[in-house]
Amino acid sequence: MESIPLTWEEVARVHGRKIYNFAYRLTGNPYDAHDLVQEVLLRVRKGLAEYQPGSFEGWLWRITRNAFLDEVRRRNRRPTTPLPDEVDRWDLASTEPVDVEYARITLGDDIQKALLELPFEFREAVVLCDIVGLSYEEIAQAAAVPIGTVRSRIHRGRKMLRGILE
Amino acid sequence: MKHPSALISALLDGELNAIESAQLHGHLASCGRCSAELQDVQRVRAAIRSLPVLDLPPDLMFEGEPNVVPFRRRRYLIASAAAVVAVIVTVATLFAPEPPPSTSYDDLARSLGAVVSRDPAFGPGKVLPVWGDGGVQQ
Repeated sequence: MESIPLTWEEVARVHGRKIYNFAYRLTGNPYDAHDLVQEVLLRVRKGLAEYQPGSFEGWLWRITRNAFLDEVRRRNRRPTTPLPDEVDRWDLASTEPVDVEYARITLGDDIQKALLELPFEFREAVVLCDIVGLSYEEIAQAAAVPIGTVRSRIHRGRKMLRGILE
Repeated sequence: MKHPSALISALLDGELNAIESAQLHGHLASCGRCSAELQDVQRVRAAIRSLPVLDLPPDLMFEGEPNVVPFRRRRYLIASAAAVVAVIVTVATLFAPEPPPSTSYDDLARSLGAVVSRDPAFGPGKVLPVWGDGGVQQ
């Protein structure tokens, strides 16, 4: 039987980095990724008491995607002017020197930009598979879709990326 | 066999069972289009997987009680608090009660239309009444 973290602090320690990478690849910037991770952990803290034994990964990533989608909906309702200076935003999100963070981020810049052009369903499936390393079954649980849909989304997402990167 | 496009990624990800995998390999051996697609997708898949794994920002590393107020909201709270303080200061300034009447002798003399001489010859704080056009008579 799958062992799950008992406390949300353990969830943060065990899964925090993966959640952050997922959030970053989904949002495209560390500022939003930072907020998303905190929102996810808040929801995990509230939700752990009612967690039913099952696929913990599916549960966790469902929370993560829902937090992301809620934020997208919130922004669509109340559009905000983005901060003008990306470098400042990185600086806010991390105590690391900006140039170190910048170098790390721009290393895969073209791929990251291409990812952001994918419709959400395809971006999510590709990132959960290739960045987070979930199985198709876990992705299906997270996205609440049949596994055949996951297969299709991952393959079509990769083909779209190939088209964008060409 | 139709071109089993969606199975190509599943093959690369080890998500096909033995039968599906064998069938697809058989198809790939005789289908240039699917073989080419396999190579294309393989390259893209490798590129995505080569993206650097980012470290968790230090302030998101949880060793104890976390910062439970999301980052952006924290900034809004600080900005809101500053705005509230500014409003309070403004209101307090506008509606502050008049200062109590001065009890200083000099101020009292001025309010009665006199000027206060600072000439040592007249001693400190001697009052010179002001008459008519402002001329001073001693």
